[in-house]
Amino acid sequence: MDVQLKKGLLETCVLTVLNRGDSYGYQIIKDASPYLEISESTLYPILKRLESSDCLNVYSVEHNGRLRKYYKITDAGREKIETFLESWKEVMTVYNFITEEMRSSDNE
Amino acid sequence: MNKTEFLSCLEKKLAGLPENEVEKTRSFYLEMIDDRSEDGMSEEEAVAAMGNIDDIVKAAMLELPLTTLMKTKMRPKARLKAWEIVLLVLGFPLWFTLLAAFVVVILSVYVSVWAVIISLYATVAALVLSGLAGIFGGLFCLFQNFAASLFILGSGLICGGIGILAFFGVTALSVWLVKLTGLFLRWIKSLFITREVDYEINN
Repeated sequence: MDVQLKKGLLETCVLTVLNRGDSYGYQIIKDASPYLEISESTLYPILKRLESSDCLNVYSVEHNGRLRKYYKITDAGREKIETFLESWKEVMTVYNFITEEMRSSDNE
Repeated sequence: MNKTEFLSCLEKKLAGLPENEVEKTRSFYLEMIDDRSEDGMSEEEAVAAMGNIDDIVKAAMLELPLTTLMKTKMRPKARLKAWEIVLLVLGFPLWFTLLAAFVVVILSVYVSVWAVIISLYATVAALVLSGLAGIFGGLFCLFQNFAASLFILGSGLICGGIGILAFFGVTALSVWLVKLTGLFLRWIKSLFITREVDYEINN
């Protein structure tokens, strides 16, 4: 998959996971991995980027005698998901056209 | 590799980055390993799941602003040793002249590009001016020597015409030359950050 495309998909995927409720790193990976291949080394820069663009807030919670970082989606983050859905409507229209067209040309 | 080894290796490779960056990265991976261990993985398995340390380091570096990155790259990893200082001082005539030559080469490329642009515009100005001079001069001596003045008038019009046409050509050419110097500057920059840029392209 194209790098830029995957970057955008991963970001929105992480935000969507957080839209269910606040979550921490490992849980995000577990929730997102059925849909996209995501590892620690890809998640870390994504979380950083989303934090610096104010799409999420970070807070620490004590867990088993250590601190765990939780991530909380912001309004800007939700807006980002909306923008994603909006712009992908167009992509899906083209996608549907291409699949329809290819199917009918296969049948001929 | 166990957890402690992994984290100290990570810290070592991130050395040179701002301290809070190193600490943030370290605590992120520590939390990840701990969470995986809690989930039933052995410590070794959890560490292995983090992937390649070099990938982690590259990913962390790519997120930094270019200025921070340059500072990190330029800063020597360790303090200069005595013999290195001696070598630097003794080698001064060598490395300084090389550095100066490098700067002068870059400068000369700029100067020659601008010299071409300036001389082209000078030609255009000369053509237009001689055109004007020809037209006025031709009209001025119209009644003294008709044939000669007609010749001067004609030459003036030709010069003026070529000058006006050349102006557009020269403008287009100089825009292109300025763009070329921009590309040249980018190429010079890329000599310094080739590794980072390559990484970005490959990923």
